[in-house]
Amino acid sequence: MIFDPTPLSADEEKLREEVRAFLADTLPDGFRPGLGLGGRHDPEFTRTLAKRGWVGMSIPTRYGGAGASTVRRFVVIEELLAAGAPIAAHWIAERQSAPAFLRFGTEEQREWFLPRIAAGECWFSLGMSEPDAGSDLASVRTAATRVDGGWRVTGTKVWTTNAHLNHFAAMLCRTTPQGEGDRHAGLSQLIVDLSDEDVHVSPIPLIDGEEHVNEVVLDGVFVPDERVLGEVGQGWAQVTAELAHERSGPDRYLSVLGLYRAFLDVHGRVPDDVRAAAIGRIGAQMWTIRQLSLAVARALDEGEAPAVEASLVKDIGTTFEQQVVETLRDAAGGEIDPGGPTMFDVLLAECVLNAPTWTLRGGTTEVLRGIAAKALTRGAR
Amino acid sequence: MSAGADLREVRDAVADLLADRVSPEVLEAAERDGWAAGVWEPLHAGGFTTVGVPESAGGAGGSVAEACAVLEAAGAAAAPVPVAETGLLAGRLLASAGLALPDGALTTGTGDVRLRDGSLAGRLARVPWASASSRIAVLADGPDGVVVAVVDPAAARISAGHNLAGEPRESVDLDGVVPETTAPAPADARDLLARRGSLARAAQIAGAARRVLEVTVTYTGERVQFGRPVSKFPAVADHLVRLAEQAEMAAMAARSAAVGAGPDGEPAELDVAAASAVASEAAGLVAAAAHQATGAMGVTREFSLGVLTRRLWSWRDEWGGERAWSTRLGHTLAAGGPEALWPTISRGVRV
Repeated sequence: MIFDPTPLSADEEKLREEVRAFLADTLPDGFRPGLGLGGRHDPEFTRTLAKRGWVGMSIPTRYGGAGASTVRRFVVIEELLAAGAPIAAHWIAERQSAPAFLRFGTEEQREWFLPRIAAGECWFSLGMSEPDAGSDLASVRTAATRVDGGWRVTGTKVWTTNAHLNHFAAMLCRTTPQGEGDRHAGLSQLIVDLSDEDVHVSPIPLIDGEEHVNEVVLDGVFVPDERVLGEVGQGWAQVTAELAHERSGPDRYLSVLGLYRAFLDVHGRVPDDVRAAAIGRIGAQMWTIRQLSLAVARALDEGEAPAVEASLVKDIGTTFEQQVVETLRDAAGGEIDPGGPTMFDVLLAECVLNAPTWTLRGGTTEVLRGIAAKALTRGAR
Repeated sequence: MSAGADLREVRDAVADLLADRVSPEVLEAAERDGWAAGVWEPLHAGGFTTVGVPESAGGAGGSVAEACAVLEAAGAAAAPVPVAETGLLAGRLLASAGLALPDGALTTGTGDVRLRDGSLAGRLARVPWASASSRIAVLADGPDGVVVAVVDPAAARISAGHNLAGEPRESVDLDGVVPETTAPAPADARDLLARRGSLARAAQIAGAARRVLEVTVTYTGERVQFGRPVSKFPAVADHLVRLAEQAEMAAMAARSAAVGAGPDGEPAELDVAAASAVASEAAGLVAAAAHQATGAMGVTREFSLGVLTRRLWSWRDEWGGERAWSTRLGHTLAAGGPEALWPTISRGVRV
């Protein structure tokens, strides 16, 4: 399916202006932008944003949200990401967890979690990957054993971003030991309180020297029945639904906007033709990818489920982001200096060290292309 | 909100019309003879060749987006006739100067041409279907500004030439030619023509890229090696996915620029620059991925891929390739400064 472009309504454009004005007022002069969804973890910012109604926007009003469309949320997060705003505290809670509660949660869970998420007071991490379950997510081994009133969970999760700061994680666990049959069966999502004394969080330092991803050891942590998300045994279907919907958002092409802007500021005031061509190519691609991403959001609002297109758009976007870093490095010339005097210097260093993760997180390029290829070639023997 | 449904209807109508009319034999004949009456006549009779030209000037009416919808479908079919030239290019140029459309196929081109004492001097380079057209719309510098001159190709000296797809791209020597009519053109006529030219090619590229994907998916699904369809091999499937991605990119870029022109307007310069930069780059990537995936069969004259990829390789540079448009766009974005960068990119499609 190839999309037609979707315009934003006057109302949606007005919302964009409001967010833009808010960010201009809120972020300090000379603010160092985060790399899109790699923006910093700032509870104060998250709460301020929540007061404006811009956290958990798609949560219905009866649960404390704004009941907004996918496109309105798109507009807000696009502006936040474009500014490199510190969105990490609420990012997963609002992008992933709130929709999951809405789709699969009990009424009690919705009433407890959703207003807190919308208030910017309840932060989530993802609990999917494990040492032996990366792209092959179905091979998770974290085991939940039935005990009186709930489950006892034992296992290890990895790459858990901000588990040392966030409150909860929806952990994908095996609630039935893997048998001979369907390996996607017997998985469930259990909400683990990360402050529990049987949860041990330790950082996994990455090559950029940052320590925001973690190993999370679950040492027989007790999860009561009321903290099971969705149906026991339906974890696989739930998780794949989550991933498909959230793949193609603006976080997939805006990680590099701060770098691009800084390039213009430092090296592109009066560019020669080589630099102009680099600036123009990036602008043209970003303009187009943005329209694709927006078209997916609009399609979701219209009740469609463009899962394959979402995979394609994520792949296009993240591949583009990596190209941008290389293109701008080459166009700028010179050595990368993490301690350099300009915003471009420091952001380029950060981007080069972070870029490898962009085509890994949320499904590797290879996995995404596998999904897309399956859909494209359906019908082949 | 959804202009998309109307545009889909236009694309489908043209695709249906062309479905059985652009056969391999017709394409071979068109390359040999420089014309395909069996393709042109039904398109022209159906009014599809002048979509985007106001009815008041004798066109079929409709927006730039509708004209581009026709071109997308024509591109997908590899229709070997001057649909873009007749409507969106020459037709709209004539209409902008208040001239009525002559009947039949029309064309136009670029070149340094002057009008003095009623006769023309200069030449147009690589004009599509110049000798096969009924009239050529020529932009010339007159004593009082830019004019549109209507020229009978029989009055000009035309030398043969082609693009890689065997479509006529002829040189038109206008020295001493007396035009049938002239009329003052809008001051920005040259710029607008170049925008529409490049947008037209982007739309054709988008259509052809889509068709290349279909052809390639079908072939790799049928071709068996090592006991299974080659599309089942991840390395081959990877080509298909990147092909699909670039087809999406080309189509979204071309459609965004076209829809952004609104119901009556012209496409914005920034939009066309972005669309052309994206579509021209996509054209090369699509062709390369498709040929790699289809192997030796793909490069034979007999197989249905070559008529499309030869067009992609040609169209991407006509009216400016990806570097030319990227550079232009880059200078404009740079002049706006870093603060205007995101607001410009996120301006999106305004209708």
